[in-house]
Amino acid sequence: MKYKKITPWLFLIPTLLGLVFFRLGPMLAAGLASFTRWNVFSPPKWIGLGNYIELFSSGTFRMILKNTLIFSGLFVPGVMIAALFLALLVNNRLRGMTFFRGLFYLPVITSVVSIGVIWSWILSPRFGLLYQLVSKFFNIARLPSFLGQPEYALYTLIFVYVWKMAGYQMILFLAGLQNIPQVYYEAATIDGASIWQKFRYITLPLLTPTTFFVLIISIIMSLKTFELTYIMTQGGPNYASTTLIYSIYVNAFKHFRMGYASAMSYILFIIVAVFTYLNFKYKKRWVHYSE
Amino acid sequence: MKKSLMIFALVLLMTALFTAGVFAQKTTIRYFMWDPEFQEMERGLVEEFEKENPDIEVEFTALEPTNYWPKISAMAAAGELPDVFNMSSGYIDQWAQDGLLMNIQDKVDELPQDDYFTRVFSTLRYPDKTESDMYGIPYAWVTTVLYYNKDMFDAAGVEYPNEDWTWEDFRKAAEELTIDENGDGVPEVYGHWWYGRYAHVEPWVYANGGRILNDLKTRIDVDEKAREALQFLGDLSNKYNVSPPKKDVVGIRQQDMFPLQQTAMWVDGSWNIQHVRDMGQGAFDWGIAKVPQGPSAEPGEYEAYGWPDSLVISKESEHKEAAWKLIKYLIGKNRPVDSYMAGKVPILKSLAESDEWLETDNDPEEIEIVLELGELMGRTSFTIGWGEWRGYADTGGSGMNGVLDSVTNGEMTVDEAVEEFTEHGNTVLERYYEE
Amino acid sequence: MSLGRKIILYTILIAISFTTLFPFLWMFSSSFKTMGEIFSLTPSFIPDNIFAEGMWNNYKSILQEYNFLRFIFNSFVVAGLAALGQLFTCSLGGFAFARMEFRFKEVIFALMLATMMIPIQVTIIPEYFIMLKLNWYNTYLPLIVPSMLIGSFGTFLLRSTFENMPSSMEEAAFIDGVNDWQMFYMVFLPNAKPALASLFIIAFMNNWNALLRPVIYIDKPDLYTITMGLAMFKGNYGTQWHLLLAGSVLSILPLLFIYMSMQKYFVRGMLTSGTKG
Repeated sequence: MKYKKITPWLFLIPTLLGLVFFRLGPMLAAGLASFTRWNVFSPPKWIGLGNYIELFSSGTFRMILKNTLIFSGLFVPGVMIAALFLALLVNNRLRGMTFFRGLFYLPVITSVVSIGVIWSWILSPRFGLLYQLVSKFFNIARLPSFLGQPEYALYTLIFVYVWKMAGYQMILFLAGLQNIPQVYYEAATIDGASIWQKFRYITLPLLTPTTFFVLIISIIMSLKTFELTYIMTQGGPNYASTTLIYSIYVNAFKHFRMGYASAMSYILFIIVAVFTYLNFKYKKRWVHYSE
Repeated sequence: MKKSLMIFALVLLMTALFTAGVFAQKTTIRYFMWDPEFQEMERGLVEEFEKENPDIEVEFTALEPTNYWPKISAMAAAGELPDVFNMSSGYIDQWAQDGLLMNIQDKVDELPQDDYFTRVFSTLRYPDKTESDMYGIPYAWVTTVLYYNKDMFDAAGVEYPNEDWTWEDFRKAAEELTIDENGDGVPEVYGHWWYGRYAHVEPWVYANGGRILNDLKTRIDVDEKAREALQFLGDLSNKYNVSPPKKDVVGIRQQDMFPLQQTAMWVDGSWNIQHVRDMGQGAFDWGIAKVPQGPSAEPGEYEAYGWPDSLVISKESEHKEAAWKLIKYLIGKNRPVDSYMAGKVPILKSLAESDEWLETDNDPEEIEIVLELGELMGRTSFTIGWGEWRGYADTGGSGMNGVLDSVTNGEMTVDEAVEEFTEHGNTVLERYYEE
Repeated sequence: MSLGRKIILYTILIAISFTTLFPFLWMFSSSFKTMGEIFSLTPSFIPDNIFAEGMWNNYKSILQEYNFLRFIFNSFVVAGLAALGQLFTCSLGGFAFARMEFRFKEVIFALMLATMMIPIQVTIIPEYFIMLKLNWYNTYLPLIVPSMLIGSFGTFLLRSTFENMPSSMEEAAFIDGVNDWQMFYMVFLPNAKPALASLFIIAFMNNWNALLRPVIYIDKPDLYTITMGLAMFKGNYGTQWHLLLAGSVLSILPLLFIYMSMQKYFVRGMLTSGTKG
């Protein structure tokens, strides 16, 4: 049995319209812009590869690239493990679980400014909650500045982002967990499998399609979020916590270097494209579909 | 001569007004403003204007700066700029250079110059800051002052800052005001608080007669006097330990250090008078003073640092006369003083000198110092690309701001910082100003 | 489940809840405070004016002076329509990608995913010109239509969901003689409820929080969305935190409501068991 030949195209009408008009169109325009000097308010000036040459000869840009890779490299596994853990927890049938699901989702929707302010305060070396707790036990004058020192700032940000976003990926895992037929677990229980064994041999393999999806989404998310950075470190100290997307935002609408920002976007685009391609290529090795 | 010219202009204007009122249909102009906090007052003012000018209708929009600039720029790109809009001192050169703004020098010349604080007009001239024509006009201006906590001065038995204070006096006072009760090496109260922020650093540079840019303002070029000022600030942090490292000031907003009594002195913009009132809520007595003049400044030639917030007219506006009329109204005597936060000064002298603005029964009693500084306003460091090389707002962690922060943290010497921000700054400036 | 296990689980749940609740509580309690109280050195969790005169001042001010109810309503319309549109578009698209073969399938899919990566900051200006050409300025169309027509995230999510469903289901339905639409709508879609619910939650939230597009396309205060309303508390020289936080509390309540009301679709065993080949 088969679907009619025309059906997929009919089903894809809205998507294709959107793709052409609101994605490819503006994206190609941005591509052209990346070869220009353009401050938005005045007409762009063609400068050929100027922006790209500037990018690759800039030490700051190399640092930003490195920060971006560190950020994604730690955020993605971090948020996935945290989210899977949360999802497994709230997938238990217990009284009040809906309530806990709500609580775990709270950081995702709590306003970014509140989160930035409160975490900055918790981590403050001399005024914060952490300091007040630690100084009860140790006689110290100040904590290291987790947001103010270049060696920590990026990692602190990653931690807070993971904390904030885990609830988002949790929903996705949760939806995936619902799709694992209960009978497997029932059978395993009869066979006397331990909780760990059930997780290892039933949940994990049957969840791989969801895991794959969450992986891709998390990679994209890691390269696209920047609001907390603005509130907590402004990309500092001295670019230590500036990632590509933060730099794009700043260059586009603070420095009004739209051409330069567009060039950076294309580099970002290539990075993601490579990652995504590799992921799809090696997908078959570890993702199991139920047929 | 001038007076009769003015009367003539006035009569002309009146006739124009009258005839316009009789013949013309309604002219609609659009006005964009960047301070939504005061939008109700601004709207009231606009409505008053409409009442007085029944032939003009004003579409008024207020957006916060983060949204304001993308929006205005997009509108400019589409040739849809509002007739009248706010312009910041950091962007005006670029906008004037790109020919987006109307040259309003003739209009400004018609205004009675003595009624306004004209020293800040220079920021709006382009390309030359002393001789060229103006492309905008301020509705308000701000300056930078030294805030000090009188209670702390009294407790430490230190005399309040005065006109004759030298930097040496300032430093000594800061040392005496720094208190480390438990002796752990980290003071509980600091004598002063500074970091790489423009409003913390430039006042000292200018008070010493220093320059961080060359004469044409096309390259970073830190002269000896400026370096001396930076070194003085750096020593406050590292040598004398009277100002906290930037990295410690996390989880507390920089502007709260003074009102929360974490520091006895602080140099920042005059608009923080409002903030200190709001946050301090009368918990302590405080005052303001001029930033002390530096050892290398010309005696008697005090250079204050400040800048205007301005209004401009789009070059493409089809209703330039109506737009100018609105601007004249917005900078005029009808503007309610409440539409300025305390410490932000109306461009019209009579408003600034009014009791409502001075609020003499409120701290700081020395508020007239702000007005005095308005007459001493000197150069600024705004250039095209200023926000980028200076490290401003969203990029406060980079540029000159970033490396000076490192100085306060003891991670960099002043000389290293100067070298680094000069190099970074000049790569930015080279893009906009050819040799 | 044994009692011991229950106790362990609850302990973990409650411990995590503390960390996730803490910033929210700070925001909530601060939304009653004055500016000075919010940024005092050691924030108190109980506002001074609780159950006292002036407790609701911040809320009164944003509801009366700033017309916040209107903004919330506007955002509800925008985010609701955009999210519903996404459910429609993405489930159709996801189904086509998951179960059908056609030319350029992977190319189109890859393009759709990849274009998601170009940040809106650099595409908004070209998009603005398109919207001006369409004469959509000062309407909600620019906020709704693009996100309604194409949702990379949602299409991808539903593609993986549909792909993961057993083909035995499909084969059986074909034998029963359903047509393509019925196959989608009556056989597959009902089994995708958890995914649809999560898509709705996420799409609603994304549109609810969007700021750049509303700012660029909307001028009229009557049409302001909630994020634009919140932005009004920021000024050139300072932020009115007490109002901003009160507004933030109001602005996340609808999100919480949507999230909680979608919970009932997160139920196990929608799929008939024993279908694995």
